[in-house]
Amino acid sequence: MRRTFRMFLMLTMILGLLPQAALAKDKWSIDGAGDITSISIAQDGSRLAIGSHGAKANVYSSDGEPIFGFDAKNVVTGVQLMKNGDLIVSSDDRHLYAFDAKGTKLWDKNMKLQIKGISASLDGLVTAVFTQRSENVVFIDPATGDPKNEANTGAIIKTIKVSPNGKWVAAASSDHYIHLMNEQGEVLRKFGASGQIMSIAVSDQGETAVGTESKRVEWFDQDGKRQHSISTRDSATHVSYTADGKYLAVSDLSGYFYLLDNKGKQLWETKINGQGRNVELDTDGRILYAGTGDGQVLKYDVGAIVSKAQKQGKVRMGLWAAASLVVIAAIWLGLRMMKKRNRLGVFLDIWKSKWVYLGLAPTFILLLTFLYFPAFSGLFHSLYKWQPGTRTTFIGLDNFRRMFHDPYVVHGIGNLLILIITGLVKTIIPPLIVAELIYHLRSKRMQYGFRTAFTASMVIPGVAMLLVWQNLYDPNLGLFNNFLELIGLGSWAHGWLGDPKTALWALIFMGFPFVGILQLLVFYAGLLSIPVELVESAKIDGAGLPRIIRSIHLPLLAGQFKFLIILALIGIVQDFNGILIVTGGGPMDSTYVPALQMYYAATKFNDLGYASALGVSMFVVIMIITIINLKFIRTEND
Amino acid sequence: MYSSPATDTLDARSEPKQGNKWGLKATISQIIIIVLLGLLVFLTLVPILFMLFSSLKSNSQIMGNFWGMPAPIKWSNYSEAFLTVWRFMLNSVGYAVAASILVMMLSAISGYIFAKKTFPGKELLFLLMLGMMMVPGVLTLIPSYVLYDSMGLTNTPWVIIIAGAAGGQIFGTFLCRSYMAGLPSELFEAARMDGSTEVGVFFKIVIPLSLPILATLFIMQSVGVYNDYIWPLLTIQDRDLQVIAVGLTSLTKQFGVVDMGMQFSAYAISSVPLLLIFSFGMKYYIQGMTQGALKM
Repeated sequence: MRRTFRMFLMLTMILGLLPQAALAKDKWSIDGAGDITSISIAQDGSRLAIGSHGAKANVYSSDGEPIFGFDAKNVVTGVQLMKNGDLIVSSDDRHLYAFDAKGTKLWDKNMKLQIKGISASLDGLVTAVFTQRSENVVFIDPATGDPKNEANTGAIIKTIKVSPNGKWVAAASSDHYIHLMNEQGEVLRKFGASGQIMSIAVSDQGETAVGTESKRVEWFDQDGKRQHSISTRDSATHVSYTADGKYLAVSDLSGYFYLLDNKGKQLWETKINGQGRNVELDTDGRILYAGTGDGQVLKYDVGAIVSKAQKQGKVRMGLWAAASLVVIAAIWLGLRMMKKRNRLGVFLDIWKSKWVYLGLAPTFILLLTFLYFPAFSGLFHSLYKWQPGTRTTFIGLDNFRRMFHDPYVVHGIGNLLILIITGLVKTIIPPLIVAELIYHLRSKRMQYGFRTAFTASMVIPGVAMLLVWQNLYDPNLGLFNNFLELIGLGSWAHGWLGDPKTALWALIFMGFPFVGILQLLVFYAGLLSIPVELVESAKIDGAGLPRIIRSIHLPLLAGQFKFLIILALIGIVQDFNGILIVTGGGPMDSTYVPALQMYYAATKFNDLGYASALGVSMFVVIMIITIINLKFIRTEND
Repeated sequence: MYSSPATDTLDARSEPKQGNKWGLKATISQIIIIVLLGLLVFLTLVPILFMLFSSLKSNSQIMGNFWGMPAPIKWSNYSEAFLTVWRFMLNSVGYAVAASILVMMLSAISGYIFAKKTFPGKELLFLLMLGMMMVPGVLTLIPSYVLYDSMGLTNTPWVIIIAGAAGGQIFGTFLCRSYMAGLPSELFEAARMDGSTEVGVFFKIVIPLSLPILATLFIMQSVGVYNDYIWPLLTIQDRDLQVIAVGLTSLTKQFGVVDMGMQFSAYAISSVPLLLIFSFGMKYYIQGMTQGALKM
């Protein structure tokens, strides 16, 4: 779909180069216009008016033929086409101007203040303007420009909009509030958006949608309750509803234009070069006009997209119905097959064990909901651009490709390799030495005492231990630098964690002398299980201690080695606890690991698709390690 | 999955193998071993000793006289630290106990069923559990967060308790299954003959006989929840609901001037629940740790 549109767009651009060949221009420029500040489409769609930063107000026919133009003395802030063909223009030159369909000026009203915008209902009965730094919405008589009444909102107004049927007037103020009024200007509701509102739209039913500077589009119902909210790629400069409020067009500052339905689902988007400043949908959502930051107006026929979206809903219903029919048929067939083969007894068995299933139900409900579902969700979403609140779009392997270009990940893999190598050394050698030492102690009480002493560090919560170590490295108050000074090596004192060269090694050194409790206990238990006779007979043959360790202990501890190595590998690949607490990945990227980048992608950048992809990659690595190990062990047993 | 030559318990120590030479050489080597081990224990415990030592000093004592004894001893560090972290500790202990009880209940039931019952689909269901053990936490971390968030559970105690229970019950079921498989089935049969219901058998025979393994589970699970850091950091924002692990890292950020003595006291205080549980159940914990390791 998108491709056809791109082709269509390209075609129109080519045609645009040959003006004489183009019957209906789908893109046209207004010289010296600059930002398109406002677009207004006539109710029948035959004409549109465009106001621009370059003080111009122009009226075109729907196929892009200019009808007339008008130059104001300052920025044109708003244009509004009326049902009878009149055009009202508001401008920073403090005047309101009105023209008839042929471009003859009807009236010109000095409002004494810069007029910042205008909006009117289709019939023109409710026409509202607001002025610079004013808290009031001013309702005017479209026939004369005379103010009729004013409505106070209590805060400086940023933008206003009147619904097509004139029943609702929505004003957004600079304190991020939306004031929803009736046609008399009584404020009915007041509710807040999540950021500075740049543009507002209101439907015939009083639903509002706002685009904010904080790159969000939010939908509110009649009562001001937030319904949905999505992120745009840049500040949402303009939003425009269809009259029924079912579809919303949005422009953002980076030049993206979106078409969304009222559930926040994106139906279509396009990107132009330059800024997207303005966007307007005609009342039934068939044509979308997009205004840029450099005086261009583009016309997109989105009717096909809208009707496709409507159809899609029905198609989906049909698919569901068909799928459930197929499932029912399959079950029925399966049952018949079983009946033929006389295997229906299994159901009797199932029925008999109903209490067993009931007993397992809580376990499996938890298992499926809170473990299997997220696991599959992670696998699935690694192929998507996934930012909750926005539409999830399929991007194939882009997330994975991105990893190889992400300097934090690339550097992180290097760090991870260092951590794995040192981690394996740490996990095997010190505990093994300590286990051997304890094993060779003669007194049982001593053995027990030392074993307990080594496990004593378990009573400190892991995080507290990390924080203490972080303190030990403190440049001024840390134990290390003070100790170095004490023994006369003060010149070696160093900001261990603050220097990119030493930070990773400081992290690795944490936990010195690395006597892991689990590892120690596993090795110790392994040594105890070695038959005494084996050692005795070796001694009789004249073997010394080193020989006994090398030829009896180490081979018989192979199982323990394998187990501890795989546990260490799995643990190191996943672990970022210590790094997150002690260095946070810094200084610069010197202590990043992929798992930390995953955490940051999810928490800092809200980029959950990318985070999932990183998680999946680590999962695959761990899976490979496990499989290799399983294979290894099987051959060992054969 | 793992075949290992190790036997089950650590204390089942057979005869010392050293033999008959009680000479001077053997004594010297014993002394060397003791000195080496003593040194290693000391090095292992340096951070803890340093923590206790510094927790009694004021900032100026730490800065001015780093190696000096705490004089005067600043006990107020502890009272001040307690007032800051008691809430976090209480939360953590509460979550840990709740999650561990849930894990015990779920694991006992499903462990018993998998150990002693036959029913259609048993292998499939057991494989389903086994499969989850292969899935590392990194894969599920972020999607889990999104799931709990969409269920409105983030920033409530449930996010910790349910996650603890859901994750812990798998290991628990394995542990209970292998333990309960060793219980004599004749015992259950006899009870059934005497007219006991299935539920009665479970509560009157299975549970009392399985208390050691349930204690192991409880201790391992509660230590796990108490030490957990990333998950609560991700899911809990409300300071009143926060756990101790995250609370400890926020001490530095709370006050402009870092009161180091107070921080160290807070670390020491946060160890008290673990100290209590280990002094009662170290044996069970070590059993669980090595058994889990060897039965995997």
